Amino acid sequence: AAMIIHFVAGLASLLYLPFIFTIVLLVIFLSATGLTLGIRQRVADLLILIFEWGSNVTEEPEEPTKDEQTQKEEEEPKPATIKKRHSSSDLRIIKREHSDVIENKLQGQDVLKKKSTVSVLVDDTLDFISAGIESIIEDNVTSRFSAEQLPSWNLLSRTKYDFQHISPKLTILWILGFCFRYLILVPIRVCLFVVGMASMCLIASAVGHVPNKSIKKWLNRRAMLMSMRIFSRSFSSIVRFHDRQNRANQGGICVANHTSPMDVMILSCDNCYAMVGQKQGGILGFIQTSLSKAEHHIWFERSEANDRKAVSNRMREHVDDPSKLPIIIFPEGTCINNTSVMMFKKGSFEISATIYPIAMKYDSRLGDAFWNSTKQSYGEYMWMMMTSWAITCDVWYLPPMTRLEGEDSIAFARRVKKAIAKAGGLVDLEWDGALKREKVSAKLIALQQKLYFERLSRRTSMCNDVTDEDMDILKNMSEEDRNQLLKQLDESDDVDAVIRKVSSFIPEVAQLVTEGNQTEPVN
Amino acid sequence: MLNISYNVVRMGNSSSLMLRDEEIEEISRETEFNRNQIVRLYSRFLSLDKKGQGFLEREDLMNVPELAVNPLGDRIVDAFFTLAGKDDKHLNFRQFVQVLAYFQPIDKSKKNQLNDRSKKLKFAFMMYDLNRNGYITREEFKVILNSMVGANITADQLDKIADRTIEEADADQDGKISFDEFCKAMEKTDIEDKMSIRFLN
Repeated sequence: AAMIIHFVAGLASLLYLPFIFTIVLLVIFLSATGLTLGIRQRVADLLILIFEWGSNVTEEPEEPTKDEQTQKEEEEPKPATIKKRHSSSDLRIIKREHSDVIENKLQGQDVLKKKSTVSVLVDDTLDFISAGIESIIEDNVTSRFSAEQLPSWNLLSRTKYDFQHISPKLTILWILGFCFRYLILVPIRVCLFVVGMASMCLIASAVGHVPNKSIKKWLNRRAMLMSMRIFSRSFSSIVRFHDRQNRANQGGICVANHTSPMDVMILSCDNCYAMVGQKQGGILGFIQTSLSKAEHHIWFERSEANDRKAVSNRMREHVDDPSKLPIIIFPEGTCINNTSVMMFKKGSFEISATIYPIAMKYDSRLGDAFWNSTKQSYGEYMWMMMTSWAITCDVWYLPPMTRLEGEDSIAFARRVKKAIAKAGGLVDLEWDGALKREKVSAKLIALQQKLYFERLSRRTSMCNDVTDEDMDILKNMSEEDRNQLLKQLDESDDVDAVIRKVSSFIPEVAQLVTEGNQTEPVN
Repeated sequence: MLNISYNVVRMGNSSSLMLRDEEIEEISRETEFNRNQIVRLYSRFLSLDKKGQGFLEREDLMNVPELAVNPLGDRIVDAFFTLAGKDDKHLNFRQFVQVLAYFQPIDKSKKNQLNDRSKKLKFAFMMYDLNRNGYITREEFKVILNSMVGANITADQLDKIADRTIEEADADQDGKISFDEFCKAMEKTDIEDKMSIRFLN
């Protein structure tokens, strides 16, 4: 019996290794020529069908396992299909009505008659309380820093949530998937990764020796495209590029939303970019040096990175040189989970007046590309990527945007962000991605206070101290006096001027106002 | 391989160990949230508990940026922890859900509506009553007002608004507002609407 096992094992390994090598060679050939067989796409479609079948299977066991009497009564009238979730927005816990009310109040959307200070304050307090509780239950910001919840399970244990029932059928599927991923996909991918790394560094160093500039550029382009394509296949990425006519060709700055360290790799499958980043040590540093031999990239020393002016200058030099490659920048500054676009830092928008925006949207059903740097190290992340099904991404090249007359870089950044969010179907947020690690800044809190103060000024007579007593006096004026007063008042007077004029006309009012406003005597 | 199977075990079992079916049923009976809502709230509780301690501290709630910029943010967190129970530094999941239950919409067909309304008013009262002695004083009110508008108004204006507000509600003219006076002042306000949160099924 042992002999048979040995024989089978020997045969398997005899078939196994050549199988892997053939695939690797095939991939290298396809990458070098830029062709594709469409296999990845077809397998991806098949997998999605399997997942959907799987989610149908999960709904069945839920009803019989429930013992609770009341819950059975709730469940019966509803057909089983209603419980299937179709999109991640269905996973909401509450409807954030009070937060919307506060938003409207602060932005001045409700312009109504002035009311008494006390009633406005009380009203607003209650709204603030409810909005605060809503944000404890569900908020727009912290959810962006962890992976998106999937509508149905994709047979990866990392996305299994503890309120999902897993039937035996699904468990078998999972085991099959596990074997397929770890025994077939991972070895192929690891080989491809090594090959891609080797080709990138070796060819880049070799190309660096070529004297002729234009041949060097052409060779570098072919080498980089090939290496990046091998890399992207080593993670089984399925990338679709849209609107390729808007691609940046000569120099310029490209900006994109940031989800993972692989963003650059994916974008580099279609076009060559100059990269910007901090000079690292170790393997990454070695890669950076090799890349720099063939083309001009911008690597900063740690000390330089803090000097924003130096950074801007180097980038400006690069951008102004038409023989150099376009720069790729991620203005969010950190990885976001690809459901939204967060605040763009204005730095890169100050350098050049023309920006080439790129929108990237990953489909997380086959593998979530988001790197949660607070929870995973880089190595763990790479391993997660290698053991996923695939990485699917849509890339939209947006037409170049130029800064308008009199538009400052913050407004320009906001405009570009809005365009990218729209193209990628992402939520446009003004919150800073740095909130992933830092607390809210005192500046932001002060801004909220200012917004609230402005609201109070709009809605109440708080700042002007026209009390009810004042109003009574004005009401009891004789008709004659009132007409005279009205003649003095002008349409364009602001409230202070009105008070002044009224006070000078009616001495009693003047007295009341002076008593009230000891800091601002009426002249 | 060993590493991976450990992960599988962890993912599948660790969180469900912390929230068993019986617990869900108990909480559901106490707070009238249904099973689905409790599980989702649990998922939220876990994501707020970044250090994985099994309970929340004040800092965990203040880490929510939208709460941090809310002028009543730290008052809300304070009220949350005070209402939760004896230990006002740690909040376990059960207490978390119990306080959130205060914000459920009032079911008009039920009998103890007054109790629900009173609970909501209690939460609002705690916003202002800083030292929790059952009275809102002028000074306490000024602190709240200050956190809402910051340095944008003068000390005088602050005083004046505080005075006016306390006067309006102070029925027995003792210079401070008791819980009863507070409730009376809120009679005309639609507390049920203002302090109810719509939970989705």
